[in-house]
Amino acid sequence: MNDPAPQPAKRRVLRVAIVTADPVRRAGLAAIVMEAGHAVSDDAAGADVVLADGVAPDAAARAVVLGGDDENQPGLLPRNAAPEQIDAALRAVAAGLTVRTTQTQGPVFDAIPELEQNLLTPREVEVLAAIGNGLSNKAVARQLGISQHTVKFHVEALLRKLGAASRAEAVHQGLRQRLIEM
Amino acid sequence: MAAPTQDALTQLSDALAARAAAAAGLVASVHPPHSRPRSGILWRPDVVIGSEQVFPKTDTAEIVFADGRHVAATLVGRDRGTNIVALRLETPVEVARPAAAEPELGGLALTLGAAPSGAPTVRLGIVRGLGPAWHSLAGGQIDRRISLDLRIGHAEEGGPVLDAAGQLLGMSTGGPGGRALVIPTSTIERVLDPLLAAGRIERGWLGVALHPVALLPDAAQGFQAQNRGLMVMQVAPDGPCAKAGVLVGDILVAIDGMPASRPREIARRFGPDSLGRQIALQIIRSGAPQTVMATITPRPQG
Repeated sequence: MNDPAPQPAKRRVLRVAIVTADPVRRAGLAAIVMEAGHAVSDDAAGADVVLADGVAPDAAARAVVLGGDDENQPGLLPRNAAPEQIDAALRAVAAGLTVRTTQTQGPVFDAIPELEQNLLTPREVEVLAAIGNGLSNKAVARQLGISQHTVKFHVEALLRKLGAASRAEAVHQGLRQRLIEM
Repeated sequence: MAAPTQDALTQLSDALAARAAAAAGLVASVHPPHSRPRSGILWRPDVVIGSEQVFPKTDTAEIVFADGRHVAATLVGRDRGTNIVALRLETPVEVARPAAAEPELGGLALTLGAAPSGAPTVRLGIVRGLGPAWHSLAGGQIDRRISLDLRIGHAEEGGPVLDAAGQLLGMSTGGPGGRALVIPTSTIERVLDPLLAAGRIERGWLGVALHPVALLPDAAQGFQAQNRGLMVMQVAPDGPCAKAGVLVGDILVAIDGMPASRPREIARRFGPDSLGRQIALQIIRSGAPQTVMATITPRPQG
C-alpha cells in the first residue's frame, strides 16, 4: 500500500454518442462529456448512452435529450443544462433511470387557482415574500419590525401549511403557485 | 369460431385507424422560422390554429400538410387567455372540418398531432374529467373543462381531439402536469372571428398580483361574513390600481360591494365588456377599511 490517500470509488467510463446537426454544438457537448471522464463514441447503437440535441435518433436507445419535449425519452434536460447535470443524467440514464429537472418544463395552461385550505395569514404572506426576496430571518425581522423569534414562528407555520420541506420550496409552493394576476 | 373480421378488438382497431385516416387532412405541421415545428388544426380553408403557449414570437410560418403541400402563412392573432394562435394561409386549402361534439366523461378521445413532415401522429385517451366553464390564469373564459387521461408534448399540442364518432371536441393543450386539456370547439368558434379581426382579445385588467389570505375576525371590520381576502403583492406601474393609489400590502376584500375572496369569481368581472368601467375596490389598509375607485383598462399582452 504505497498510496497514502484513500481513493474514491472508481467511476464508470461511459461510451457516449453525441447526436446533433450543429458541429459547433457537437464540439461543445463532446468537451463536456470528456471533461466528465467519459468517451465519445461515433456508434449510437453501440454506445452506453446517447446525448442528443432536441430530438433523439431512436426511441429505443438510452438517451439524454437536451431541450426536447418527448416525454417518452428517459432523459430530458433543458438545452442550457449545466455540465454537472449532463454528467449526472448520462450516468443515471445509462443505469436505467429516468431523469427530469425539478423545474416545470415550459408553459402550462391552467385555471385560476382556488384555495380552500391552508390559507396563509397576511403576516405569513409578508414573511413568505421577504424570504422569497432572499432575506435571512434577521433581515426579515428588521424589515417587518418583529422579533427574530416571531419570524421563526411564522416560517415554521408557513412550512407546515404549505407542506414544504425548505424555505425555497415554501416560496415555490406559496408565492409562485398562488399569485394571481388581475 | 368467429371470423377475424368480427373480432371486437380488430373492429375497434380498424375503426380507430379509419378515424385517424379521415382526420389526416385536419392536421397541420406549423414551422415557425428558427424554431421547432408545432402542431395545428386546419380550421378554415385559409386559417390554421395552434397552441399559443408553445408558439414562438414570430410573424410568419410555413405550414406542411399530410399530403406534402407546403403553404406560407402569416400570424394574424394570438390569445393567451384561450391559448389560441391563428395563422392565415396565403393559399387556401380545402378542408372538411368535422361537426363539433359534446364530450362525454369516459368517452374515447383521439388526440392528433403533426410530425414535422406533416404526417399525423395519434394518441388514444379517454375524457378523464369534465367540468363547467372556467377561467384560465390569463383571464380567458373556456366553455368547459375537458381533461384527458394522457400527457402531451409541446410539439403535439394544438392538434385536433376527436370523439369516437370522429367529431371534433376541440384543440389539445398542455395542462398541469403535462396532461392534455381540450379547448372546446365552441370556445374556438367564439374567439376566432374577433381574434382574426383585431389580432388579440382584450380583457379587463387591474394591474395587481394578488395572494389569497385568511382574515382574522377583527381584521375584517365591516366584512364580518368574510374570512378571506386577496393581499396585494405587486402593483404594475401606471396600471389601473397604481393610478387608484392601491399599495402593496393592501388587502382587497370586495369589488363593488361583492366579496372579492375568490379569484375565480373576480375573473368573471373582467371580460371583454369590462373595459373602461369604473369600479369600487374595498380594501383593508393598516387594519382600516377604505374604498378606492379604479378604471378597468385592457390587459397588456405578452
